[in-house]
Amino acid sequence: MGRFEPIGLALLLLAGCQQAQPLTEVQSAARRPADAHLAALYDGSCRACHTHRDSGAPLSGDHTQWDARWAKGPDTLLQNAVAGYNKMPAGGQCATCTAGDYAAMIRFMADQPQ
Amino acid sequence: MGTSRRALLISGGVVAAGAVGLAGRRLWLDREPVALPAVDKGGHLLWQNWSGIEHAYPTTRAAPASADEAAHLLKTASGPVRAVGAGHSFTGLVPTDATLVSLDRMTGVLGHDPATHQASVAAGTRLYELGPALAAIGQAMPNLPDINKQSLAGGTQTGTHGTGRGLQAVHGGIVAFDLATPRGEVMECSATSNPEVFNAARVGLGAFGIVTRFTLQNQPLTRVKKVVSMRRRDDLIDGWDDMVGRHRNVEFYVIPFSNYGQLITHDETTEPVRPRGPDTDADGAMQLKHARDLFEFASPLRFWMADHLIADVPDQVSIDEGWKLLSNERPVRFCEMEYHLPRENQIAALREVIAAIETHRSDVFFPIEVRAIAADDAWLSSFYGRDSGSIAVHAYYKDDYQFFYTLIEPILRRHGGRPHWGKLNSLVYNDFAALYPRWKEALAVRDHLDPEGKLLNPYLHKVLRRD
Repeated sequence: MGRFEPIGLALLLLAGCQQAQPLTEVQSAARRPADAHLAALYDGSCRACHTHRDSGAPLSGDHTQWDARWAKGPDTLLQNAVAGYNKMPAGGQCATCTAGDYAAMIRFMADQPQ
Repeated sequence: MGTSRRALLISGGVVAAGAVGLAGRRLWLDREPVALPAVDKGGHLLWQNWSGIEHAYPTTRAAPASADEAAHLLKTASGPVRAVGAGHSFTGLVPTDATLVSLDRMTGVLGHDPATHQASVAAGTRLYELGPALAAIGQAMPNLPDINKQSLAGGTQTGTHGTGRGLQAVHGGIVAFDLATPRGEVMECSATSNPEVFNAARVGLGAFGIVTRFTLQNQPLTRVKKVVSMRRRDDLIDGWDDMVGRHRNVEFYVIPFSNYGQLITHDETTEPVRPRGPDTDADGAMQLKHARDLFEFASPLRFWMADHLIADVPDQVSIDEGWKLLSNERPVRFCEMEYHLPRENQIAALREVIAAIETHRSDVFFPIEVRAIAADDAWLSSFYGRDSGSIAVHAYYKDDYQFFYTLIEPILRRHGGRPHWGKLNSLVYNDFAALYPRWKEALAVRDHLDPEGKLLNPYLHKVLRRD
């Protein structure tokens, strides 16, 4: 058993190094969807809360806040975004977003591959 | 001995069962409201307001990029056509099953005059965007409301306001606006150009057309000092008139079931910047909720606990540009009723509201907000022709708010109040007609601009059309 201990320790350290770190508001605000249509919608809605810690919303791109939410599944997150949940107001103040727009912006904020 | 032990056990069991029952009741009441389907049977996406009590499944959603596009849309779209900003209105101003219009493609500062401190601003601009944009050109709005999410059009069309000595609501800064109408035209409105439309539609509920651009009378960018302090409730109430006279902006919150309230003042200063710290209001509201949850049926204990928690809270002082301090994030959702009363009636009404809540509604924990707003001359402004004092009562978004209508509104109406257009009230056409001296003239303008009633949804039919 003893000879595996250094390997186990190294793996633990590696896992520790790869653990997500919280983003600052500035780091979060610097993110923007690459797609111009999404970026315009994002600027006019999600960005207002999801780049400000005081809003209570998970910061855009912050895995420490988003991973547990993402684990609920994109369908649940879409439902919560459209119908509201806890501090999340229904529709996220985007009156012209389609279901596809919401899904893409949730994926962007959770920093998951599009 | 055996009997007394049995009695003790039975008593203990009853107490425990009672505690479990109360905890279960609170858990039941504290559940998340049942979510509406995200999409209806016709495949239309849900729209809901911020608090979650109004909703619709519009068949069409549109976002015009110019005044001409808005006018064309109004002429050709199916009604009801309703414009929406941030959806922060609690009343049914927005819901439509037909056409929902967003101004999110018309945003930003379009031009400015450094000499007059006026700025031309696209109507869909959100207040949290407008503050920094105006600061970049050395300007600031004279006053701002409590929440920073509203669009400029949505806020002004509903008479949204801040507080302060001699300071008017946000629409008081409008010197001109462009209005796209259902007749397909775009009208320039000011005190000298289409003045009757300027007067009638400045606070227009989105029922006269769609405002696409404003000219705002701003002021030079200044630094303000914000002080938030906990004070004895009696001192706040008794000293209100004096405080209004001494500060540029002043308001206070009465914390129900405590002997304290929160005083917030803003005054211009040249002191060095002291940035605002992290928001503590949301946590504070949740602490009041916890006190309510624990002591809902033991008011003396609730008073004791709240006073104990509040008494030693230190003052918070921030110094910065006004747009960074006057408005807030407000992440905890709620429902709200707010009335604007003649200033001389405000404190008497407030005392009655507090007594009513603390006598009859032990479930209320949200603070009661008290502000002062100067008179203006927009015909449908809640502040038309009189300096006003506002009283706002809130309920957590999961809690019952029907007591607004049965317990609070009769007090506020008896004291001559006019409701905030975006906040809950039960008034209909005849009630408003009695409260607004220029009501019929304003509606004549509206009917001329929208003869088919395309801008009227079911709620506005009750408000703007006689039965």
